[in-house]
Amino acid sequence: MAAENLRKSYETYLRRGLFNREKKVVEALKGVSFRIYRGEVFGLLGPNGAGKTTTVKILSTLLLPDSGKATVLGYDVVKEAVEVRRRIGVSLTVEKGFFWKLTGRENLMYFGMLYGMDGAELKQRVQKMLELVGLEELGSSDKLYEEYSLGMKARLSIARALLTDPELLILDEPTLGLDPPSARLLRELLIKVAHQEGKTVLITTHNMFEVEIVCDRLAIINEGIIVAMDTVDGLKDLVSEEITLEMLVVLPARVSLKQLREEISEVVSSRVEVDPTEEGTRIRVVMRPLEKEQATQEMLRRLHSMGCSVRRIEVKEPTLEDVFIELTGGK
Amino acid sequence: MGLWTLLKSGLILDIYFFKNNRAQLVSMFAWPYILLTLMLGMGFLFGSAETFKSNVGVEADPVVFFVASTLIAMASLSVMWEVGGTVLYHRWIGTLPYMLIAPYRTSVTLVMSYIPRYLLWSFMQLAEFVPVLIWREGLVGGLSDTLVMGLAIVVGMLPLLGFAAIFGSFLLTIKEETNVLSWLNPIILILSGAFYPAYLFPIWARFLSILLPTTYTFELARLSSLLGAPKLAEMTFLIAVLLGMSFLYNALSFTLMGKAERRALKSGAV
Repeated sequence: MAAENLRKSYETYLRRGLFNREKKVVEALKGVSFRIYRGEVFGLLGPNGAGKTTTVKILSTLLLPDSGKATVLGYDVVKEAVEVRRRIGVSLTVEKGFFWKLTGRENLMYFGMLYGMDGAELKQRVQKMLELVGLEELGSSDKLYEEYSLGMKARLSIARALLTDPELLILDEPTLGLDPPSARLLRELLIKVAHQEGKTVLITTHNMFEVEIVCDRLAIINEGIIVAMDTVDGLKDLVSEEITLEMLVVLPARVSLKQLREEISEVVSSRVEVDPTEEGTRIRVVMRPLEKEQATQEMLRRLHSMGCSVRRIEVKEPTLEDVFIELTGGK
Repeated sequence: MGLWTLLKSGLILDIYFFKNNRAQLVSMFAWPYILLTLMLGMGFLFGSAETFKSNVGVEADPVVFFVASTLIAMASLSVMWEVGGTVLYHRWIGTLPYMLIAPYRTSVTLVMSYIPRYLLWSFMQLAEFVPVLIWREGLVGGLSDTLVMGLAIVVGMLPLLGFAAIFGSFLLTIKEETNVLSWLNPIILILSGAFYPAYLFPIWARFLSILLPTTYTFELARLSSLLGAPKLAEMTFLIAVLLGMSFLYNALSFTLMGKAERRALKSGAV
């Protein structure tokens, strides 16, 4: 799936009295480009109003871009929309989008037929999806949708997205508003779907934790522009100029604090602090992200050869939230 | 994957609705009789069956006449309301995007998935009236009336689908949550001659009346209550007009819906 320089503006109107209104143009996307590879779980992370839903709607063929191009599995989302629709599963909101007076199973049967499935194949697929998302286990498959909790609605939404066995799943904030157990279950489900069934997944969210757990790669979008794109670790490295490594060690009597400091300073180029504490000696090293792995191994080797025993080791890296806040200007 | 499953999806949706909404099922059966009773009751308040015949100017049984009018009025309103307003309904409950990502053209999805509902509802209501028609017209007369009314329901539906879809396409493009047809429907009914004969209208209204498919549907329904007289030539003419209008309005709606869909997808109205 590829998006190349997507641009989209909306016209909105500000009411000025009963009959007057003022036109305002909002630029939702200002040239968004990214690529998602087969079998990948890709996250689109951004604050509210960043352009996530606009991007998702364009890729789902529900919105036309002003300019730029997007292809899904080789099909153009504008010129070959029907072909794209045959190959994608979409979940846009979790709290609505179904018929309230139908059960979960009946809703899936209806949408299955609407999407061209029929007969025993449809019945089996509906049953399988209800089992996969756990609604069968909860005994809720044959309950009316109006009696569903938000968590159940979210599961049903995923089940519908998966119903036609699509190659690409597009999920817009699938865990928004869910309680922690439901959100966790849904995340596990997504990982299962992506890795066991080999689906490509595009997920939008502003939940950092979710991205770290679920996504192979992510793009951060802000004010209609992709500001960064990489793996979670790659993005962390991108924003942090230094990381902190803290170790608690017990020194043998023959090794002084000065000796220890000199030994460690030979390994890393930056600041080294060595302080005695009640539990042992605390070593604090500030280093560049690139030297993290090699320097840590070398330090451990030297500590071992000096006869020091390492009690605790902790790396203080920036969180994805730090990355997000830095790249989106604190929004 | 074909249009058959799309038709079936519409049918199964209604069956599920009936299964889970018993009150809706009961009201669907009761409503035509309530309406008929009201119409007849009001009619008889103003005079006898003979007065009715002289007022209408035809040799028709008032019960059969109103059965036909009730059925066709309800069926016509149903098409215009449901197809015209379906976009709003799906927008309100949040199913519109999921309807639009069905692998068909939007006009096809909206119209085709509605046809089974229309036929199911209309024929169930027609079946309801069969005993009344047989009571008034005898077995052969009652059954032939049923046949003509069934024909009016089917043939009358065809142009109305396209006609209503034109309004549906308009609703797809605007972001306001108003079903234009809710205030347009009474005007359409008046101009179609549902309440007063069209020949009483001023010229401009008669011209509009000619353009409305409902005018011919009502006329066809009325003929069904006059089958005692030889009106087959007139019936054939009306059916031909309705078929011609079907082609016209459906072709027009197909084009307009395509444009409306594109405009909605451009403006973000979905």
